[in-house]
Amino acid sequence: MSLALPSGVHFASHAEELRLLRTRPQRAALLLLFVALAVFPVVASNYLIGLAISASITLIAVVGLQITIGMAGLLNLGQSAFVGVGAFTAASLYANHGLPMLPCIVLAGLASGLVSIFFALPALRIKGLYLALTTIAAQVMFPIVVLRLPESWFGGAAGIGIDQPRLLGTAVDTPAAFYGVAVGVAALMLLLAFNLQRSHVGLVFRALRDNDIASSVLGVELGRYKIMAFFAGALFAGVAGGLYAFYIRYVTTDQFTIWLSIWYVGMLIVGGLGSPLGAVFGTLAITALQEAVHAGGTRAMNLLPALSGGTIFAMTNVLLGAAIIFMLIKEPHGLAHRWRILKTAYRIWPYPRG
Amino acid sequence: MNVLQIAIDGMLAGLVYGLVALAFVVIFRASRIVNLAQGQLVLVGAYVMGTLMSLLPLGAALAAALAASVLVGIVVERFVFRPLIGQPVFAIVMASIGLLILLQGLVQLIWGAQTRPFAQIFPEGAWRLDTLVINRRLLIGALITFAAVEALRWFFLKTRAGLRLAAVAEDHYVALSLGVSVRGATRIAWALGAFLSTVAAMILLSGNVLGLQASEIGLRALPVALLGGLESLRGALLAGLIVGLGEAFAAQYLDRLTEGAMSQIFPFLLMILVLLIRPQGLFGWKVIERL
Repeated sequence: MSLALPSGVHFASHAEELRLLRTRPQRAALLLLFVALAVFPVVASNYLIGLAISASITLIAVVGLQITIGMAGLLNLGQSAFVGVGAFTAASLYANHGLPMLPCIVLAGLASGLVSIFFALPALRIKGLYLALTTIAAQVMFPIVVLRLPESWFGGAAGIGIDQPRLLGTAVDTPAAFYGVAVGVAALMLLLAFNLQRSHVGLVFRALRDNDIASSVLGVELGRYKIMAFFAGALFAGVAGGLYAFYIRYVTTDQFTIWLSIWYVGMLIVGGLGSPLGAVFGTLAITALQEAVHAGGTRAMNLLPALSGGTIFAMTNVLLGAAIIFMLIKEPHGLAHRWRILKTAYRIWPYPRG
Repeated sequence: MNVLQIAIDGMLAGLVYGLVALAFVVIFRASRIVNLAQGQLVLVGAYVMGTLMSLLPLGAALAAALAASVLVGIVVERFVFRPLIGQPVFAIVMASIGLLILLQGLVQLIWGAQTRPFAQIFPEGAWRLDTLVINRRLLIGALITFAAVEALRWFFLKTRAGLRLAAVAEDHYVALSLGVSVRGATRIAWALGAFLSTVAAMILLSGNVLGLQASEIGLRALPVALLGGLESLRGALLAGLIVGLGEAFAAQYLDRLTEGAMSQIFPFLLMILVLLIRPQGLFGWKVIERL
C-alpha cells in the first residue's frame, strides 16, 4: 500500500540509489508540485505572488550558501554582498549596455563568482572557519567600493534603475509573468545544486568538509576545491541578485546589508545544512516567520503608534537569532532532518525507526 | 598636518580597536569561541551604561554597569554556549552569529533606533605638547588598555586559573579529561569579555552620541584581533597600533585619491593579506595539525 515511497530499501545498483526520483509516486508528487506552482499565480493575490517571487530569489541565494557552507564547510557571512554584485552587474548591463535579460542574469552570476575568488584566496592558507572573516571583509567593503566607482558604471549613491524588463521581446512587468521567470530560475538552480551534490565535485566538497587534511592526503587539491566551492556559492548569489534587480527594478547599496547575509545563514541553519532541501525548508520557514512578524507588527502598530518599522526589523532579528541558537542546540541538522526522519518512519512502518 | 600628529591620533584611535580586539582575544583564548557578536557586547554594555547613568550618580552607575556586563556574560554562557560544549567549532561560530542578531534586535526593541547623547565620563579637551595636540579621553583610554593587557597577561600566564583556561582553548575534550572545567572557563571568558567590551564602550562613547551603529566597532576590531594573533594579548595591542596608524595615514594621504574609501577598507585589505601571508597573525599560536 505504498503511496509515495517504497517500503524497505532495495536498490539493485549505485546509479539507482543516486537517482533524485526513485519511484513513480515520487515523480507523480513532483508533477503535482509543478501543477500547483503553475496554478498559484492564477488563484493567488498579487501580494502572495510577490511574496513567492521574493522567496524564490532568496531561495537561490540560500541554496548557493548551502553549497559553500553545507557541502564544503566554508563559512560565508557575505552572501548578500555577492547578491549585490550580481544585482549591480545585471542592472548596469541591462540599463547602460542594453544586453537582453537572460545574458544579464548569467553574467551577473559569473561576475559574483569572479569577485568571490578574490576573497577566497586566503583559503589557500587557512581553514574554513577563518574564511568567515574574509567574507565579512567582502560585506563591509562592498558598499564602500561600489559607491566610489564611476557613476557611469553603477550609478554611485543614487543606484541604478531598470525601466521595463523585457524577456525575449515580451515585457515581464506583471507579478504573474515575473513569477514564472523567478520560480523557473529557482527550480533550475535547485536542480543544479542537487546534481552538484551527487557529482564528483560534490563528493570532493564533502570530503574536504569532513576532514581537509585527510582529503589532501588522498590527493584533493584543497585550495582549488575551496575556491570552487566559493565560486559556486557566489554564482548562485549573483543569479539571485540578477533576478532581484529585474524584480525590484532599482538597485542601491543599502539593499545588501550584513543583516541580510546573516538572515541567509540563519535560514540555512534552521532548514538544515546537509542538503539543498534544507535551504528550501529554511527559506520557507523563515519567510513565513517574517510574514507573521510583519502581519503582527502592522496590527500592533495600528494599536500602538509609538512602534515603528524598525521594531519589526528588530523583532525579526530577535526571533531569528533565538531560532538559530535553539536549532543549533536542539536539532543541529535542521528541519530537513525532521523531514528525513518522517520519511524513514513511513518507509519502514510498522517497525520503529532505528 | 605634521606626521607626528597624524601618528599620535592614529595610535590613540587604534588602541580603542585594540581594546575591543582584546575582549575578542580573551574569549577565544579562554574558551576557543570565535565571538562574532563582539560588537553587540559593546552595544549592550553601552546602552545599559547609558540608562544607568541617567538614574544613578556617575561612579555608582559605572560600577553597576560593569557588574551588569559580567552578568550578561554569565547569562550568555549559561544559555547559549554551555549547551554547545563539545560541539564542533563550526556550530559554536554559528551560535555566535545567532547571538549577534539576537542582541542587536533586543537592544533595538528595548531602547529604540533613535540616537541619544552619552554622558561624559572622561575629561574632554586636549593636552598640548608644543605643537602636538593629544586627546585626553583617548589618552586615558590608552592607559586603561595598557593596564588591562598587563593585568590579563599576569592572569593568563602566572595564575593557576589562567593557565587552566589555556588548556580549554587548546581542546575541550583534553581539558575535560584533565579535570579542567570547560563550563567554568567559558563563564570566566564571557564575563571578562563582556566586562572589557563595556570598558571599551565607555572610552569610545564618552561625551559622544550613542546609536545602534556603535556595534560596528566589532567588525573593525576583527582585523585587529586577527593581525595580532587570536591568542595573543599584547598582539591585540600592537595590531591596534598598526591598524590605527595605517588608517590615519591612509586617511591623510590616500583618501584624496579614493574619495575617502581607503581609510575605511584598509583594515580589511590588511586582514586578507595577513591571512594569506601569516594566517596565525603576528603572535598567534601556530597549531600543527595531524591526521
